[in-house]
Amino acid sequence: MKYFFVLTSFLIVCFAPFYGQIDLTIEGILDANSMHYQVFWDLRFPRILLAFLTGGILGLAGLVFQTVFRNPMSTPFTLGVASGATLFTAIAIVFGVASFVSFFAFLGSLITILILFAITSKLQDIHTTSLLLVGIALSFFYSACLMVLFFISDLSQSYEIVRFTMGSLDTVGFNDVYFMAVASFTIILITQLYKQKIKLLLVSYEFAQLKGVDVKKTNYILLFVVSISVGICVSITGPIGFIGLIVPHIMKTLYKQSSEKLIYPIFFYGGVFLVFCDLIARNIGSNSDIPIGVVTSFLGAPFFIYLILSKK
Amino acid sequence: MLKIDNFSNYILKDISFNVQKKNLIILGSNGAGKTTLAKVLSGLIETSNIHISDILLSNISYEERVSLINYIPPKLEIFDEYIKVEEFLSLSKIYDKHHIKEVLHKLQIEHLTTKNCKRLSSGESQLVLIASAILHNAKYTILDEPTSNLDPQKLKNVFELLSLKEIMQHKIIITHNLNLAYRLGFDVVFIKDGKVHFNGTSNEFFTQENLDMVYDNTVKKIENNIVVDI
Repeated sequence: MKYFFVLTSFLIVCFAPFYGQIDLTIEGILDANSMHYQVFWDLRFPRILLAFLTGGILGLAGLVFQTVFRNPMSTPFTLGVASGATLFTAIAIVFGVASFVSFFAFLGSLITILILFAITSKLQDIHTTSLLLVGIALSFFYSACLMVLFFISDLSQSYEIVRFTMGSLDTVGFNDVYFMAVASFTIILITQLYKQKIKLLLVSYEFAQLKGVDVKKTNYILLFVVSISVGICVSITGPIGFIGLIVPHIMKTLYKQSSEKLIYPIFFYGGVFLVFCDLIARNIGSNSDIPIGVVTSFLGAPFFIYLILSKK
Repeated sequence: MLKIDNFSNYILKDISFNVQKKNLIILGSNGAGKTTLAKVLSGLIETSNIHISDILLSNISYEERVSLINYIPPKLEIFDEYIKVEEFLSLSKIYDKHHIKEVLHKLQIEHLTTKNCKRLSSGESQLVLIASAILHNAKYTILDEPTSNLDPQKLKNVFELLSLKEIMQHKIIITHNLNLAYRLGFDVVFIKDGKVHFNGTSNEFFTQENLDMVYDNTVKKIENNIVVDI
């Protein structure tokens, strides 16, 4: 069963770049003078890489958030990182600095993380519930600000903001991919370094503390680093929902192993899932791509419900 | 020496005692504050009233505390759905030289090795917790109602283990099983309404006179057994 999934995944990733508005051939992409060559190396290949890394980061971030918050409904966006990015993107669009959208989006995530940790460092609470609540409160605050921006923006600006919130994997060349590779490396490195501590946390906070883990510090470091990775992600692709929620759950159900062993599988299949969704998004529409966030939810939600129902 | 000085919080009032001898039994009615006391002693509730070997516990880093103190809860609570008994025990194995298999054999639960922790019965999970305490082997181990869900044979087996000197260094056992407490013969601290009501040796505590006073004539000492008169 596992081999079947691995094989299918490789096939998806290998075939994905060849299909889209223009179907490519192998001869075409090897011929430096053809249009196929340019489409493949400048658009499709970076796009597939971007999709793969984004899916991986969001999936793995979901696992970390669910572990730290003890809550299966936590997602990488639970702390308001995505709403922060969206708000700042909206600010950039409305106030006419739209060419710096990515930079503003990252600034939004970063400021959100800093505010969160500045507030929660004042709390005595050893556990993470307060952090979660502050994150949710912050998200609502951002939504209100966003409403104001919608209200004062014109039609085309509103449209642009809405498009950002739907997520997009459009990219040209490898610049975005480099940033995403750094983010991926960071999140994998931190989860690997903290693997043993994560495993102890998976038993219980008290157990982890009695085995020598500074629970509060560990939780905060994990959330901080993971949020930065997610922030980079959101600033490039916009908030792509649902992957962080479903991929960890699907992997747990399939592998039936403790979560700290699933770091690489979750990254890999999160990536494959987004590549697959992107393949559909690029091929189903007649003349333009369907927003990626729509596809992930369309495919993910029913499958997720099926899994929950079939679980004994 | 483990020492607590004048500790008070929402439930405990002015608690002071020390564990001078090897082991200790903590008794007390439901809601008296025993588990809270255990969490205070083990550092899970931070205070500056605990000293271990004359060093303030709150000044000791979490990493160093591992060798000093361990707390075993009455129930095995695990967040992750798929951690196996074996994995849980290897996370717990810190100072003990014995193999996990040997400890499981002692407790007669080898058959649980590859079972999922979430699938254990409450009695089985208590045995796994006791195994984890043995494997951790901290200087002080606080066992919170370690036998409350065990069947009579398992209870006897665990009693025999707990009475062995070489099993765990210092044992602090919280229990409602008076016969177990009596037979172990450790010093007794009795908590009532958040206060230390009695602090002394086993022989002093388990006299019929004292039992009548403490348990309001519901506990009888019959032929070297402590029996609840119901």
